[in-house]
Amino acid sequence: MTRLVIGLGSPFRGDDAAGLAVAGRVAGASRRLTGGYELMALWEGADEVVVVDAMRSGAPAGSVRRFDPHREPLPAATFVSSHAVGLAETVELARALGRLPARMVVYGIEAGHLRPGDGLSQEVAAAAVRVAAEIQGA
Amino acid sequence: MSSEREIEVGYLARVEGEGAMYLKLRGSTVEDLQFRIFEPPRFFEAFLRGRRFDEAPDITARICGICPVAYQTSAANALEHAAGVRVDGQLRALRRLLYCGEWIESHGLHVFFLHAPDFLGYESAIAMAADFPDQIELGLRLKKIGNELMTVVGGREIHPINFRVGGFYRAPHKAELAALIPDLEWALGAALDAVRWVAGFPFPDFERDYEFVALSLPDRYAIDEGRVVSSRGLDIAADEWPDHFEESHVPWSNALHARLRARGAYHVGPLARYALNSDRLTPAAARAAAEAGLGEACRNPFRSIVVRAVEIAFACEEALRIIAAYEPPPAPAVEVAPHGRVGHGVSEAPRGLLYHRYQIDGDGLIADAVIVPPTSQNQLSIEDDLRAYVPGRAELGDDELQWQLEQAIRNYDPCISCATHFLDLTVERS
Repeated sequence: MTRLVIGLGSPFRGDDAAGLAVAGRVAGASRRLTGGYELMALWEGADEVVVVDAMRSGAPAGSVRRFDPHREPLPAATFVSSHAVGLAETVELARALGRLPARMVVYGIEAGHLRPGDGLSQEVAAAAVRVAAEIQGA
Repeated sequence: MSSEREIEVGYLARVEGEGAMYLKLRGSTVEDLQFRIFEPPRFFEAFLRGRRFDEAPDITARICGICPVAYQTSAANALEHAAGVRVDGQLRALRRLLYCGEWIESHGLHVFFLHAPDFLGYESAIAMAADFPDQIELGLRLKKIGNELMTVVGGREIHPINFRVGGFYRAPHKAELAALIPDLEWALGAALDAVRWVAGFPFPDFERDYEFVALSLPDRYAIDEGRVVSSRGLDIAADEWPDHFEESHVPWSNALHARLRARGAYHVGPLARYALNSDRLTPAAARAAAEAGLGEACRNPFRSIVVRAVEIAFACEEALRIIAAYEPPPAPAVEVAPHGRVGHGVSEAPRGLLYHRYQIDGDGLIADAVIVPPTSQNQLSIEDDLRAYVPGRAELGDDELQWQLEQAIRNYDPCISCATHFLDLTVERS
């Protein structure tokens, strides 16, 4: 069974890099700037896909939520992209085209700050370690 | 009847960036209309000052993730013009090839994902995908092929890193380009199918007598260089731009409004390019345009989707032609020293003409920069379209009118992010 781990985010926008930090701790993981439609090509052929992205849901910084796109759509307003197409839209397009991976898990790590240039907040850095461990233990 | 109504779209969908629209009607008379660009100003021109001239292509590429090559090309053209250097031969061909990738990718996004849902009655590409999966898959593959072309020539699909003033850091090997041929041949066929598909969409009966402005070359459909010409006789070099165009600020938009000093509003983009250069399209693209009934010029902005599809076919054909004739240049770049000079540069971004001007000091640092993106130039034309479109259609309900007006804005594939350096709709009826 092939499993692909994808971390999303910008390295230059504080806690937006949460997904990248997780991918940096998981061997073979892919690091991507955005969750646009090109992700569908990336996960083509994979049986299981794990995506990690920063989220803004109003929860305390560093909170982690686990979503199963086969059970429900991702909350679009939670996974925010400064670009035209975000992860929630890519998941819905893939669903419409029958291109969702057979198994898919999306981890959202609540961002504290998204200021340009800053590193991860302590809470998000700790959450990234926990999520990476959970992915590797799975 | 003088009932008053307002239509307001607080946040426009399927455009790049953040904008809104407000419309106030009394009966069928438009009393007030604003295409509001509220995306914050980005101050690129200000923070270019004091940077080295050769940083301009990489810094200005960051203005847009959809059309970075346009920014890189106009910047390089301006700096080369300042230095009195012309990038020619295979280096020029490579720049044009890279730009073809951007046209395929950007037009692919707009035709299939942003604009087609308007004509087919879907609120998004996602909603459309359930009923038109083949077309969406085709759009995805076209976009991917455009991106691959950009990756091979530019080093990266978004914000290419291989582009520099004077040429490239590294010229590709023949084999690297040849490997793209099968995908580009498929893409050409797919684009020709797309022309037939979109030409069959239902288009509102609406034409406007635009002054079209686009680049033009004697022997090719202009992309990466050319003279600035118009359908009313303008014919100037890039460095005469400031004599003929001006920009002004209006309170409801964070993007400057550009106008022709002599005549006001004008129209840039696919319709303008096609009207001024259609006889220089590549053969298959020209045949597709003729079969789609575009004629010598198309003045119905809703049919811009057909011209974009024709331009995808053109970009594929042109890319194949360039690759077939490619020989690696002796050096990947030529020296450019614009110190103490001023330069002007233009190119045809997917959305239309993009003008740059740089003043370089004696140390090679940027003393002043001016960037005029296509959406700034089209703002007046967009507002004029909306003003002209409403009177015959004031009987429509608010929802239908709003839908059609949003569509009229998307005709321009506006890139609000670029222009602020875009759209909610408010219609107020009285």
